[in-house]
Amino acid sequence: MTDEVILKVSNLQTYFSTDEGIVKAVDGVSFDLHGGETLAIVGESGSGKSVTNLSIMNLIPNPPGKIVGGEVWYGGRDILKLSDNEIRTIRGNKISMIFQDPMTSLNPFLRISTQMVETIMLHQGLAKKDAKDKAIEMLKLAGIPSPEKRVDCYPHQFSGGMRQRVMIAMALSCNPEILIADEPTSALDVTIQAQILDLIGDLTARLGTAVIMITHSLGVVAGMCDTVCVMYAGRVVEQGPVDTLFANPRHPYTRGLIRSVPRLDRANTERLYSISGQPPNVIDLPECCPFYPRCESAKDICRTTYPASVATGDGLKVSCWLYPEEK
Amino acid sequence: MALSTRESRTSEDPVIIEENKNTPPDETAPVDAGVNEFNQEVKPVSLWADAWKRLRKNRMALAGLWVSLAYLLVALLAPVLPIYPYEQQVIAHQNLPPSFRPAGEVMLETNGTYMLKTAAKKQKVPLDRAVLSEEQQAKLDAMRADVAVNPIHQRHYYLGTDALGRDTLSRVIYGGRVSIMIGIIGTITALLVGILAGAIAGYLGGWVDNLIMRFVDIMYGLPYMLIVIIMMAILGQNIFILFIAIALVSWLTIARVVRGQVISLKNSEFIEAARSMGARKRRIIMKHLLPNTTGIIIVYSSLSLPSFIMNESFLSFLGLGVSAPLASWGSLVSEGVSTMQLYPWQLLVPAVTMTAFLFAMNFLGDGLRDAFDPQSKNRV
Amino acid sequence: MFRFVVRRLLSLIPTLFLIITLSFFIIRIAPGGPFSSEKQVPPEVLQNIMKKYHMDEPLPQQYLRYMGDILHGDLGPSFKYKDYSVNELIAQSLPNSIILGVISLVLAIVLGISVGILSSLKQNTLADYLSMSVAVVGISIPLFVIGPVMMLIFATSLKWLPTSGWIYDRNGLKTLIMPAITLAFPYFAYIARLSRASILEILRSDYIRTARAKGLKESVVVVKHVLKGAMLPVVSYLGPAFAGIITGSVVVEKIFLVPGLGGFFVNSALNRDYTLIMGTVIVYSVILVVMNFVVDVLYGAIDPRISYK
Repeated sequence: MTDEVILKVSNLQTYFSTDEGIVKAVDGVSFDLHGGETLAIVGESGSGKSVTNLSIMNLIPNPPGKIVGGEVWYGGRDILKLSDNEIRTIRGNKISMIFQDPMTSLNPFLRISTQMVETIMLHQGLAKKDAKDKAIEMLKLAGIPSPEKRVDCYPHQFSGGMRQRVMIAMALSCNPEILIADEPTSALDVTIQAQILDLIGDLTARLGTAVIMITHSLGVVAGMCDTVCVMYAGRVVEQGPVDTLFANPRHPYTRGLIRSVPRLDRANTERLYSISGQPPNVIDLPECCPFYPRCESAKDICRTTYPASVATGDGLKVSCWLYPEEK
Repeated sequence: MALSTRESRTSEDPVIIEENKNTPPDETAPVDAGVNEFNQEVKPVSLWADAWKRLRKNRMALAGLWVSLAYLLVALLAPVLPIYPYEQQVIAHQNLPPSFRPAGEVMLETNGTYMLKTAAKKQKVPLDRAVLSEEQQAKLDAMRADVAVNPIHQRHYYLGTDALGRDTLSRVIYGGRVSIMIGIIGTITALLVGILAGAIAGYLGGWVDNLIMRFVDIMYGLPYMLIVIIMMAILGQNIFILFIAIALVSWLTIARVVRGQVISLKNSEFIEAARSMGARKRRIIMKHLLPNTTGIIIVYSSLSLPSFIMNESFLSFLGLGVSAPLASWGSLVSEGVSTMQLYPWQLLVPAVTMTAFLFAMNFLGDGLRDAFDPQSKNRV
Repeated sequence: MFRFVVRRLLSLIPTLFLIITLSFFIIRIAPGGPFSSEKQVPPEVLQNIMKKYHMDEPLPQQYLRYMGDILHGDLGPSFKYKDYSVNELIAQSLPNSIILGVISLVLAIVLGISVGILSSLKQNTLADYLSMSVAVVGISIPLFVIGPVMMLIFATSLKWLPTSGWIYDRNGLKTLIMPAITLAFPYFAYIARLSRASILEILRSDYIRTARAKGLKESVVVVKHVLKGAMLPVVSYLGPAFAGIITGSVVVEKIFLVPGLGGFFVNSALNRDYTLIMGTVIVYSVILVVMNFVVDVLYGAIDPRISYK
């Protein structure tokens, strides 16, 4: 992990218009990504994790969604303001994405070679034969056996884990600076999950790629990430280095999450803890801290105003009225 | 028809906590919680209310709904409407064009013009210089005398008459009655057979499923109207045979669709949940599977009704459908085609009437399909 | 892929077999046929039939003989037209029907897909609404309304096109225009709606999102990634569409006086000319079965999940 900030997300806001009202899927998210860093974005379903990442690459379908505010700084420019042609030179090339469900993320009607070669030819300007060789090389790196033969197969001829390896190979084939992995293992068997995560960690370390890993599993976070952002109802409630966060979490939500993880080293007699209540419906959310109905330490002010982000001494940033801004 | 059965989403976009359609309709969490955790008003939305709301927004579909209802009403009330009997022939009034004036006047006028034309041709002069022969004049005078006394000439044929002097308006209304009835009965029959077949195939699976589906596949590939024609030829032209013949080949789509639904629901989680709570097979079918398929059934019905009417009209047009004196829209159009150059209204009136109804039903059907299975058409 | 084609070819056989068997029995048991006492069949015809089918032989032998005849392409003598065999009648009229049918199908497919693509890419614009309205018209108005109305407008009033006739007449190819358009219209409409819906559905799928995330141009995404899969429902529909065209041709041929097979078919149904009916059915069925086979193979060519096990 270098000291240089290669990606800076600043107060990103993405809203969706629906029949029932405006959904503020992402409402003021900010974080920095350094070179080679592995950053985790953690949260429950509906917290806005995926939307954040799609917004970074400006892939939000419009209608019904729209990036209404904020900036994403990369390579010295705000890439949200780029024209279509310009941002396409970044997608798949400097910033790549892999998605959750490898079954549906690959085009079932085209061969793997076609799908991989088109990216390589597009961004690296190689001839078809050379591009195919590069594809085979990437497949080998990703652990696909007999890649020269498998490269001409169709996606349905691979198993789930293999397909995800193909996606990873495809995403890393142009040697991007940032890899965004949107819950890459949620749709896979548990035994395969570990393999895939190892693969991602391994390859990105080798190639020096920074990773934004979206996940809802704290185990994944602890296992391979340097930094973590905890999201709730479209905002980042706490962020910072992984070790510090796990050792000394500030936000009641983060504390609840960590407490919910079953411990093998404790006595078997305690009841499993879970945070009471459910994540909120983010349509027409009133101005408040959205966690307050489930928060054990809620105060009156939590009902009316959203807390600003405050830096604690040890490298964490937290948005909670328990840690008010010092004026 | 591209009705999709939604697979459960594994990705998280969009962030709406959308009403999960696969929730059993009766057993959701506190449905009448008027207020949520943020003290905001919360209105519980059922599947039907949701669909109705979406339908209301679709103006074409709503228009279709009202028009269809209007037709149904007229068809239902036909016997009590103040219209002339549809099978009554008044030869004197044959082939009169539509008009607001009383029949007597129109009759005199058309006959007069016709006579002049014949005279002009005979005398080989242009129309404005033709003179009626004595014979013609006498005939005309006799007609005029009759008009003065006979009350039947006070009738009004707003949509004209046909070759036998029957009122087009009543014929079109009664024809509609027959056509719509055929459509409804046909749809119901097809539904019953199709739902039964599809549900059995889907739920039982295995060789039963294979057998039924192979049968459906084979029948799907055949030109079934031809089969119907053959059946009619062999079994005779009887309105019941007509029903049976059409329905027999039309249940295929609904069977396929229902089977698809049943299979996808059979394995879905809430069925497993119900089963794990000890629900018996029958309860599962009645309380869980059927309500979820009702949406599709409604959509199918609204789209198959016009299709039935088209099929029946097709047969009638070829002379294989309903026989005189009963009329259906198809037979009326068929009669109209042969005289369309001289008396275009005889074709246009039933054609437009029938087409308008089919339009309305198709828009309604489309709207219903969008309402029950919406695709994100949310616009900013 | 080859194995797939062969498998499909083999499955044709039982269907054809079924059809031929059915027609054998229908000729024998149907009321009004030569073997019932109902209808008075002219003695010459009866003689032909008796001679042809060797009525004195036991049933199984008759059946085999029948099967053999059909497989040799001999469809028997006509009930009604005592001087002609079914073969001759069909041979005269089938080519015309085929010409009409093929032209209509091609028209429907080409126009339908084009309009569908246009509408889906320009969703919710005027072009979209206009095209889809025309499409609804197409599936709502029955053939036998469109045909006569077109004739009324273009032939009778405007006198641009001839009312009827066929390409061997003096009007030549112009006679094809109205019948082909009439026949193609509902199928064009359905294909347009189908392709539009299918494209829209695919545009929202995950793998299109992946394609965009890789930085591909939208036009490339559409042509290379969307179209192939989007055509699947259309290909599936071609089978029923062709069946529909065959059915519709019966009406269109009647309206525009096209000397095709459809006219014979209807008349034979009304006259209970069973050999002719069955002959036409066999011919139509063979065409359909072959067409379905082609469609299956096409589907397998597009969707590798079917042909690559």
